[in-house]
Amino acid sequence: MTRAFLFTLLLAGVAALDATPVAQTLLSQPLVTSTILGLVWGDVHTALAVGVVLQILAASTTPLGSRTPEDYATGGVAGTALALALAQQSPLQPWRDSAALVGVIVGLLAATSGVPLIKWQRRRNEGLSRWCEAEILAGHEHAPALASVAGVTLAFGVAVALCAAWLAGGVVLLHPFVQHESLRLSRAWTLAQPLWMGFGLAQLLHAFVQRRLTRAGLFGAAMVGAWLTLVMGTP
Amino acid sequence: MSAGLSRGTLLRMALRANLLQSTWNFERQQGVGWAYALQPALDELYADPATRRARLAEHTAYFNTQPTLASLALGAVAQLEGERAGGAGPDAVAMARVKAALGSTLAALGDRLFWFSLRPFAAAIGVLVALARPEKPWGALVLWGTYAVPHLAVRFAGVGWGYDRGPAVLAGGLRRGFERAVTLLAYAGCVVLGVLVAYGMAPGGEMRPIAVQSALAGGLGLGLLSAQRARPSPTQWALGLGALVLLATWTRQG
Repeated sequence: MTRAFLFTLLLAGVAALDATPVAQTLLSQPLVTSTILGLVWGDVHTALAVGVVLQILAASTTPLGSRTPEDYATGGVAGTALALALAQQSPLQPWRDSAALVGVIVGLLAATSGVPLIKWQRRRNEGLSRWCEAEILAGHEHAPALASVAGVTLAFGVAVALCAAWLAGGVVLLHPFVQHESLRLSRAWTLAQPLWMGFGLAQLLHAFVQRRLTRAGLFGAAMVGAWLTLVMGTP
Repeated sequence: MSAGLSRGTLLRMALRANLLQSTWNFERQQGVGWAYALQPALDELYADPATRRARLAEHTAYFNTQPTLASLALGAVAQLEGERAGGAGPDAVAMARVKAALGSTLAALGDRLFWFSLRPFAAAIGVLVALARPEKPWGALVLWGTYAVPHLAVRFAGVGWGYDRGPAVLAGGLRRGFERAVTLLAYAGCVVLGVLVAYGMAPGGEMRPIAVQSALAGGLGLGLLSAQRARPSPTQWALGLGALVLLATWTRQG
């Protein structure tokens, strides 16, 4: 359990690095991190229940220009890990559904709470870039490398701290709540999950269709065709 | 123009481009990361330490573009720095102008290709695979591979493309290729989303309860309406929907 928690914090740091400072390969996306966490914690089913919803919602959040997007890298890890920690308390399905619901909500809150922290990091980096220029002019040509290391270290540390705070707070405060209200939370999950999925899919659809009739027609044809194939089966 | 940069130098630039956003900030945005990525070229081009430091410091100024296509700008600017080192290239003001022009042009194309097309497409297809094969990690692998392979390929090859073609790197067939990719991804994305919605209604051919299907349809409708405005953000909407469902559950259950 302790090793799983430590791995979770490490993954939160790595995901935060991938999100902006290093490489940007989408390793930070909730579906990827939740799958990794599911394998580590030994419960891929609960991890994917949370990861899929957060992924659909994260996909419509873009890091354009100087806009500071929600921190789904940390939110995805914190939400999934909390759901996994809560789900370990019982094998019953309502309990696991409750854990998934709480995981998604905490993931969304953690992603939102990451915005001011990212802004804070970016303001700290302003001083770093001015320092870097002054150091280069003073003859220290390794200053850009040092500044990069400092920026990466700061992003890693902030993400680990944020994830640890949400995870610890979530386990301590929400475990009794899930224990007492698992049936209600489970019922809420059966409605909230498709609602969130539909909402997130619509955001993506809007980005793809862009008011073009052909694309909307293609979406409709694919939906009807897939539905018929699923329900009737292939000939 | 001075002798061309070695392939090793171009490779080091591409590797360092992975840290382009390591010190992203509101003032200079990718400035320091840009200077760090360009440093191998400056090291090779300028033997005189004072000139080299002056050029390096100059490149810590403001720069911003879409991070994948930044490689093309890096290559193009390295070519101009080569001309400058030979005494023929642009001066500092002209160089800043070229960087600004390249940055905005590449951002306009790169945002549409990578942020608005490839990223949501990778997410949609990854989620579809994860729902269809929940017992295996294929969904995550498909998501990551769909985005990371072209992203890293362009990042590594882009420095060479930019270096060979200079500031007119997007003038030829490259822009047409990227534009075609945007259109194709939009069509493919519509198909994948159609299949995802159908799968949401009847996973594995089993129809879900009418309340669940209604929630999915309601979410779709609300999502399409809310997408017309930038505020509240999708995350804020999702939190609101979660609160609404909890409230409804508690009220109904007494």
